Amino acid sequence: MEISLPANSYDWSNLVNQYGSPLLILDCNTLRNQYRRLKESLPTVDLYFAIKSLPNETVINVLHKEGCHFDIATQGEVLLLENNRVPANKTIHTHPIKRDSDIRSTLRFGCTTFVVDNEFELDKFVRYKERVGLLLRLSFPNPNAVVNLSKKFGLSVEHAPAFINRAEKLGIHIKGISFHVGSQSKLYQSHVDAITKCMEIIETNRKTRDVPMSILDIGGGFPINYDGTDIDIEEFCNPINNIIKTLPENIKIIAEPGRYISGPAMTCITSVIGKANREGIPWYYLDDGVYNSFSGQIFDHAIYPIISVRKGETRTSVLAGPTCDSIDIISENIELPDLDIGDLIVAPMMGAYTSATATEFNSLPRTHIIAVNVDEDSDTNIIQLV
Amino acid sequence: MKNQFEETLYDAHGQRFSIEEIYYEHKSAHQHIIIFHNSKFGRVMALDGVIQTTEKDEFIYHEMLTHIPILAHGEVKNVLIIGGGDGGMLREVLRHNTIKSISMVEIDKAVVDMCIKYLPKHSLGAFEDNRLNLVIDDGANFVRQSSEKFDVIIVDSTDPIGPGEVLFQHEFYINCKNILNKNGIVVTQNGVPFMQPDEVRNTEKFFSQIFKDNSFYVAPVPTYIGGNMAFGWGTDNKTYRQISLETLQQRFSSAGFKTRYYNPKIHLASFALPQYVIDIIA
Repeated sequence: MEISLPANSYDWSNLVNQYGSPLLILDCNTLRNQYRRLKESLPTVDLYFAIKSLPNETVINVLHKEGCHFDIATQGEVLLLENNRVPANKTIHTHPIKRDSDIRSTLRFGCTTFVVDNEFELDKFVRYKERVGLLLRLSFPNPNAVVNLSKKFGLSVEHAPAFINRAEKLGIHIKGISFHVGSQSKLYQSHVDAITKCMEIIETNRKTRDVPMSILDIGGGFPINYDGTDIDIEEFCNPINNIIKTLPENIKIIAEPGRYISGPAMTCITSVIGKANREGIPWYYLDDGVYNSFSGQIFDHAIYPIISVRKGETRTSVLAGPTCDSIDIISENIELPDLDIGDLIVAPMMGAYTSATATEFNSLPRTHIIAVNVDEDSDTNIIQLV
Repeated sequence: MKNQFEETLYDAHGQRFSIEEIYYEHKSAHQHIIIFHNSKFGRVMALDGVIQTTEKDEFIYHEMLTHIPILAHGEVKNVLIIGGGDGGMLREVLRHNTIKSISMVEIDKAVVDMCIKYLPKHSLGAFEDNRLNLVIDDGANFVRQSSEKFDVIIVDSTDPIGPGEVLFQHEFYINCKNILNKNGIVVTQNGVPFMQPDEVRNTEKFFSQIFKDNSFYVAPVPTYIGGNMAFGWGTDNKTYRQISLETLQQRFSSAGFKTRYYNPKIHLASFALPQYVIDIIA
């Protein structure tokens, strides 16, 4: 399928001339629109942006102005929020495994909501029990997710009652339940099933003890497509909204979207720096690859759309990254026109888990990010170094 | 909508201040500090999202941590203050003319400078007094190494989560005892037991091993929310808690200054603990 350049296309070669190559372009309007679309699709849900997907100050600032909340997983992410003056009451800490120093620095920042999924982790909060409210993370293995997050984290449902008992004995308040159906969940049914199961636990808890829960964190996993097609997120969210409508009024629903908001917001431009003909197949070597912005192909199992700025008759070609390692291949089977050194390749949808997981292997610097449309109300397409 | 400061001490509840003006705000690798004006409480200082002191109610805290041990002892010549960078504790200690020297150990000189500038009513010029020996050092380190001894040690610590953590540990209290004169007294800030029962529980555990007489006394400080605040009391002289009202009245009147919370009757009454506090430390 032919993938076209993003609608509000920029003058790619001009940007590269000005800011160098490779280059990541963060479009703040796309970021805003993704947030607004998801918020409109889940109107009663508070969205906590998963900073890990694109830890960037401009992203934080833009989303903060939109009214977005934030999901923190590490001390570094706490620092990013502190530096950008995000109030702590708009944050939750969601990493199920924490060092004592993580808990302390998060409390000192002012965030008092944490996630636990096992008794060893629960014990770490005995010292802080007067100050915190915890969410119990449950696991719901999801065969439909690209990345299954219920293997590494989450307490299995049958152990939940004993865990809640133990917390109560320790004097630690479990104020709600969280789950994560895995990233790129293509079926809303996994969300719906998990919500139903969590509500059973919350209801049983309400009937059997005097400490009702009030929060259900439905995690992330809201999908985007990397093949240039659109996912109707409103349609995806409708069944979730329908079940939310049936929940008791005291239950606040929150979610931790990352990819859905950040994924479409960044575009990568990379240049052909070398070419070869190997056994009749053209090889093009780019200045960005899987050790850098395309790291999501390794860690995140993502395949990004690739567009050649030069048009023409295509041949099956290989697209490789700049490092010395043979794993550094972006695509072994891609239709490309005959490219020259210096030609530009554009890859949209490269906001989530791209620069976030980039390395400096081979002493190659991470790809620079510039931001466009930083100020929504301005007519000019502001470009600002971030 | 006005600017707001929401305290983040507890997840489930908390206090809120409207901010009329921010005088100072600084974020370092160690802590976030803010001093702002609130129409009800005057200047307010918060550290890492937790209220430390306000102009309106600081007198309760500072009077109770100074005049109680000093007047119970009766012959205090030298005092050690651990922390207390805002100068409020120093101000109250200096009102006793019989006191010859005061050492104050503050970990960060910048805190003192900032408080002189932005919370001037706390110190009221106290840092100029020539009886003061201001030491910039970690309080835990100072009590470990000091060769000087003191009649009263006042531990004006911050919350145990943060730089003040070492001031809540066993070794620190043992070292305090070691640099106390015979019949000396240690008093400590011990949190609000209704909200943070572990703080009095821990101090009780340590003090009961270290001192022949230990207890707590209490006072309600409005912006330390949750009821009475507890102050830890440790000494080897068991008679200090049995002093008569007449003796205290005599000492207080010889001291010759006016107070706003402390008086000899409050002095004696403050050692009467609510049953839930007694149960916590039992």
